[in-house]
Order: sequence, then C-alpha cells, then structure tokens
Amino acid sequence: MASKDRMMVTEPQEPRTPGFIWPAVICFGAIFLAGILAGFSKVAAEAGKATLAPWAGPLIAATLGIAGLFFYFRRHADWFRALSRRRRHYWTALGLAAVIGGIVGVWASFDQPANRGAIEMAFTGSLSANFAIGASLFWVIGLLVSMVIYHRSIDDHEERAWLWAGLAGWYAFIFPAPVWWVLHRAGLAPPADAMLLFVLSMVTNGVVYLWLKFR
Amino acid sequence: MNNRLKVLRAMRNWSQAELADRLDVSRQAVNAIETGKYDPSLPLAFKLARLFEMPIEEIFDDGFEG
Repeated sequence: MASKDRMMVTEPQEPRTPGFIWPAVICFGAIFLAGILAGFSKVAAEAGKATLAPWAGPLIAATLGIAGLFFYFRRHADWFRALSRRRRHYWTALGLAAVIGGIVGVWASFDQPANRGAIEMAFTGSLSANFAIGASLFWVIGLLVSMVIYHRSIDDHEERAWLWAGLAGWYAFIFPAPVWWVLHRAGLAPPADAMLLFVLSMVTNGVVYLWLKFR
Repeated sequence: MNNRLKVLRAMRNWSQAELADRLDVSRQAVNAIETGKYDPSLPLAFKLARLFEMPIEEIFDDGFEG
C-alpha cells in the first residue's frame, strides 16, 4: 500500500505548450461564422424577410473569435509566465501582428460586396474610405509597435536572418523597379505596379528569412 | 568555424531546447551554431564560455595554427 502511495505521488507538471492549431481553428471558425451570417442575411433579403444589420455578423463573429482566443491563451497563462522576458516580448510582438492582420483581413472581406471574386476582392476591387483609412492606421501603427517589440526581443541568429532577408527584399525591389520604369517609358511594358513590386520584395524577404532561420 | 558545442551539451545531457533556455536564445540558434551554419556574436560566445566554464577558444576553433 505504502509503495502504491509512493507511486501515486504526482510529479510537478510542465506548463502546457500552446500550439498554432487551436488559434488557427478559432480564427477560421470566426471567419466561417461571419460568412454564414452574411449568407443568411443575403438569403433573408432575397426572400423579403428581416435581415441582420450589416455590422451585426462581423461583430458577433469577431466577439466570439476574440473570446475563444482569450480563453485559449488564459488556459496557457502559466506557460507564458514561465517564459523569459525576451521570449514573452517575442510572442507578444508576433501575436499583436497576427491580431492586426486578422482584424484587417476580416474587415476587408466585409467591406466589399459579397458577389466579388477572390482576385477582385484581394487586389483590384474598390474599397470604402473608412476601410482604407482604418487599415492604413492599423498597418502603420500596428507594424511600428510590433516591430519595436520584436527587434528588442530577437536573438543574434534571428537578427542576422532578418538583416539578410531585409537586404534581399531590398534588392528584389531596386533591380526590377527601374527596369520596369524605363521599359514603360519606351512603350515596351505597362506602367510599373507598386503593389506587385511590394509583393515581390516581401516574398523574397520571407523566403530568405525562413531559409536562414530554419534551415 | 568549428566548435565543440554539441559535445559539451551532450556531456551535460542537455537538449538543444534546454541549452537555448539557459542562453536565452531560440533552439534554432543553438542548432545553427552546432551545425556550423552560424557563428555567434562575441556577447553570445562569452555567454557560452561562462555557461560551460571554459575559455572561448576551448569551445570555438577558427582553424588558425600559429
């Protein structure tokens, strides 16, 4: 009996490590719910019935999504507290960037008519002034805050990956941009597309960063 | 630059993650140093030397034979 009691002594448990699966499921679930509510409103409008207010669906979905994320991270609060100061800042910066990206993404999808195609919705369709101003503020202020926290928390190895990735992204801009510009002036190419150059620069940056960080 | 980090870590029975925690760097940083893909900064090299209680040149070898 005594030996059984000894065997049943519980060892101190390591705090559970949070993963990316549940936050992703919660975020996609919230977006899916917003889509269902938008579809419900559309069908109700076509049938001549009462519809939800345009802001109600996104608000319900966002509230449930934020609540889900809150409870998920509260469950892992011990893990977060056990992290070093550097790592806490690191995950705070990444979390902040993800939340801002999620808010802008969901807002963008609801700012546009439902009958738009994916390309039109993501790249070419017109946007409301409210969204354009709001998303710009989120981008600039959010990026500024999260980048300050991020750069104060990364280690040497990641800093090196970031610097080389930044340089590669810069080269991916300064090589094609003037070429495209002079080709357009000679009538050999359409006008230079700033967003296409931006995407090229960002993709190059991301690929080099991931390669140097995780190879 | 060659280094003995993997051996020194194994002698203490530490995982890469455990060593990373002690140095307050990422596990990827420890892995990159061990595999020679990244040479640490001087502050991190000193941190390693203090952790293993040995001079930097006993951990890292630049191949120079004067």
